[in-house]
Amino acid sequence: MSALLAPLWAGIGTGGFAVLFFLRGRDIPLAASGGAIGWAAYAATAAVTGSPAVGYFAAAAAIGLWSEALATALKRPATVYMICGIIPLVPGGGMYYTMLAAVRGNSWLAITTGFETLQAAGAIAAGLAVSSAASRLLSLRALASRALARRRP
Amino acid sequence: MAGQIAPTDPEELLILAADAARIVLESGGETYRAEETAVAFCSALGGPEAECFATPTGVVLSFTGTDGRVRSIVRRVSKRAMNLERVARVDSLVRDLVGGKADFDEAAIALGEIEGLPGRPALVSLLAAAVGTGSFALLFGGAWNDGLVAAAVGALVSRFVPRLAGRGLPDFFINLVGGATATLLCLAAGRVGLASSADIATIGVVMLLVPGVAITNAIRDTIAGDLVAGVARGADAFMAAAAISIGAGGVHQLWRLLPAAALP
Repeated sequence: MSALLAPLWAGIGTGGFAVLFFLRGRDIPLAASGGAIGWAAYAATAAVTGSPAVGYFAAAAAIGLWSEALATALKRPATVYMICGIIPLVPGGGMYYTMLAAVRGNSWLAITTGFETLQAAGAIAAGLAVSSAASRLLSLRALASRALARRRP
Repeated sequence: MAGQIAPTDPEELLILAADAARIVLESGGETYRAEETAVAFCSALGGPEAECFATPTGVVLSFTGTDGRVRSIVRRVSKRAMNLERVARVDSLVRDLVGGKADFDEAAIALGEIEGLPGRPALVSLLAAAVGTGSFALLFGGAWNDGLVAAAVGALVSRFVPRLAGRGLPDFFINLVGGATATLLCLAAGRVGLASSADIATIGVVMLLVPGVAITNAIRDTIAGDLVAGVARGADAFMAAAAISIGAGGVHQLWRLLPAAALP
């Protein structure tokens, strides 16, 4: 899969899920753009560092910052764009393969896949948490400087 | 009048605030958002003393009115389905309340509208499911025909699963049947030569069912300090994945038992 085509499919798939999650109007292409950005960040970081977990973390951080920026601009909750944006990355497939291995009695494969799945979910959650915290700090700083500017004559 | 703290009936306010939190939880909002929503309703409309404890399966809200009496309410959350438009609308209602742009009556009407938001026309959700599952099959390395098979099966599964849910069957059973149906149809498509990789088509389709967002939100809740909610969501995700895999694994086993001659 080429480096351009993969984010495109990720974005289109995210758009489909955004519709299934009842988003409307401009929210759908915006949420889809988050999915494409996230996948591009994941593919680039994972290729450079050779670690999928680092890729998931970077992708989630990118989606988080993009969602927070959209949320601030449009006065919508960031979670609306975050949940859609992480859909291509979230380890739903990993959960499925873990349990499938367990159902088939392949304990070792179940354990290793399960560990990778938890690692991916943890990396995504951490990436989102870091970007939320960063955007909160940024906006707090912006608020504080504005308040200070108002107080000074 | 907007902006003025009207002498709202504390019982009615308690019910309204708890319902707002319930809607947030039912629609896939974060646990802390549900708690903050209920507290914001109470403090914007009736006084500062409110505490809310929410988990994915219920809301407990306690509130001290202006008369000094403590009231509390419990709301059970049994059905959970992602509806981000509702989450966004409750959020903007909270902004209006906190900003003094809405009073109790307006908030009650707005909340009723949010709860009554119409669903999607069947064709739209069918197409959305087809686009989503097809694109993900291609993203996960499928060929063109795998994407088409995933789109067709995904559209079928997306029609079929909410019908089962509407009959009051438990989630475990719905996921089991959904996983089994997706696997069976994709294996059959692979057998007759429509799909080159039945496995990739299957994983595209089960993206509709798998709890990837749930397991991620479980960890997000835990990071945010909502430990009970995090563990509960984790258990929910674990059981959903188990149910889908039991369905898929069962179909794989049966498929292997079928004599080769019985298939085209």
